[in-house]
Amino acid sequence: MVIKDFSLVLFTMLGQMAVGLAIMAALRPQTAEGPSEGKLKTHWLVAGCLLVAGLIASFFHLGHPGGSVLTLTHLSNSWLSREVLAFGVFGALLAATWLTLLKSGTGSLLGRIAAAVGIIAVLVSGMVYAPPGFPALNNISPLVLFLLTAFILGSALASYFADDKLQPTLTMVLAVSLIVGLVINLLLPSMWLAGNKAAQMTGQNFLSSGWFWARIVLEFVIPLVALAAMKKIAVWVPVLVVFGELVGRIMFFGSVVHSAATIGGLQ
Amino acid sequence: MSKKQLGFFVDVKRCIGCFSCAMACKNQYHQEKEVVWRQVYPVSEEIYPHRQSAWLSLACNHCQNPTCLKVCPVKAYFKRDKDGVVVHEQDKCIGCGNCIRSCPYGAPRYNPVAKKAEKCSLCWQRLDAGLKPACVQGCPAKALQLVDVNQFADPEAVQYIAGFPKFAALNPSVRFRAPSQPRVIRR
Repeated sequence: MVIKDFSLVLFTMLGQMAVGLAIMAALRPQTAEGPSEGKLKTHWLVAGCLLVAGLIASFFHLGHPGGSVLTLTHLSNSWLSREVLAFGVFGALLAATWLTLLKSGTGSLLGRIAAAVGIIAVLVSGMVYAPPGFPALNNISPLVLFLLTAFILGSALASYFADDKLQPTLTMVLAVSLIVGLVINLLLPSMWLAGNKAAQMTGQNFLSSGWFWARIVLEFVIPLVALAAMKKIAVWVPVLVVFGELVGRIMFFGSVVHSAATIGGLQ
Repeated sequence: MSKKQLGFFVDVKRCIGCFSCAMACKNQYHQEKEVVWRQVYPVSEEIYPHRQSAWLSLACNHCQNPTCLKVCPVKAYFKRDKDGVVVHEQDKCIGCGNCIRSCPYGAPRYNPVAKKAEKCSLCWQRLDAGLKPACVQGCPAKALQLVDVNQFADPEAVQYIAGFPKFAALNPSVRFRAPSQPRVIRR
C-alpha cells in the first residue's frame, strides 16, 4: 500500500467524521437536560475537535501554510477555495451550536443548519478530489465515497454518545450505509477496469491489494454480521470501521493512477 | 478570425529521441534536479511495434481551457490574452499541489526546494524578446516547432495521437504528426 498525501488522508477523513457526527447529533432531541445532557454536549464537542484536528492536518500538505488565507480568493472557479469556505462555515456553526448548548441548553436549529452545511462541505470536498488528472475519480465517485464515509463514521462513533432511544436509529443508519458502501466499493474497481488505461491500472491496483480485501472484510462484512446478530452497535464496531475507512482513504490517495503515468502507452 | 493561441507542434516523424529539447529547457532554467518541465516519453511497442523508436516530447500544452488555472485556489495562474500562454506566477503559489493533481498531462511539477509548483512557461520572456522557446531552438531535427494552433493547417497534423491522453474539455494547444511506418524489405 502506497501512502501519499497523508495530511490529506487525515483532513478528509476527520472532516467527514465531524460532519457525520454533526448529522447524527442533529437527529437527537436538542435539550441538554436529564441524564443525556453531558453526552449531547460531548457529542457536539467531539465533532468540533475532530474538525479542528482535520484542519490542522490540512496545513501540513501546503508548501507555504502562511498563505492559506489566500485560498479564499478564487471562489468563482476553484473547488478548493469553496472547500475551505464550506468547512470554515461548518466549523463556525459547530462552535456556535456548542456554545448555545452550553448557555441556553438547546441548539436545535443551529445544529441542524450546521449538519446541512456539513453535508454541502463534504460534497464540495468531493469535487476537489475529482480532477481530470485521475480518470478513475473524474466522476461522481469521490462525492459518493466521501458522503458514505460521513454516514458510516458518524453513525458508528455517535453510538458512544447517544442515549438508548437513539441507538436503534444509529444501528439502522450504519447498517444501510455499510450495505451501500460494500456494494459501491466492490463495484467501483470493476467499473474502473472498463475505463481508460489509468482507470484500468487503478482497478488492478485495488483488486490485487490485500489491504483492499482486508478492508472489505473488516469494515463491511464483520460489522454487518455483528449488527445483524446483536441488533445494536457493539463497542468494538466503530474501531473496525475507522480502521477500514483509514485504509480506504490511504488507497484513495495512494493507489489511484494519474493520467500522466500512461503517456506514451495505449490509452 | 480566432484569437492567437500559441502551442507546440511535435513532429513525431522527425523526432530522433535525442532529448536535446529537454536539455535545452534545463540549460535555460536550471530547475531543481527532480523538476522536469519538458519530458520525452518513449512510445510503447503496443503502439509502434518496430525496431526503431518513436518519442513524444511534451511540456505544458497551454490548454485553451486550462484546468490548472481553474483549480488554483490562490489565482497563481493566468492566461495571456495576446498569445494564450498559460503563465504560473510562483510568487503567489502556496504549494497546495492541486494543479499537479488536476493536470492530466502532468505538466505542473512540485519543486521540493521552493515547496511550490512550477511548469513550462513557453519561454514567454524569450517570446517577448522575439526569440523561439529554448526547446524549439535546441531541437536539431526541427521536430519541435512553435505554431499558432488556431491558424496551423498542416493536413497531417492532429491534436491527439496514440499515446497522448485525450481530454477534449481542456482543448490542449498541441499538434502532432504521427511517426512513419518503417519500410519493410522482403526477399
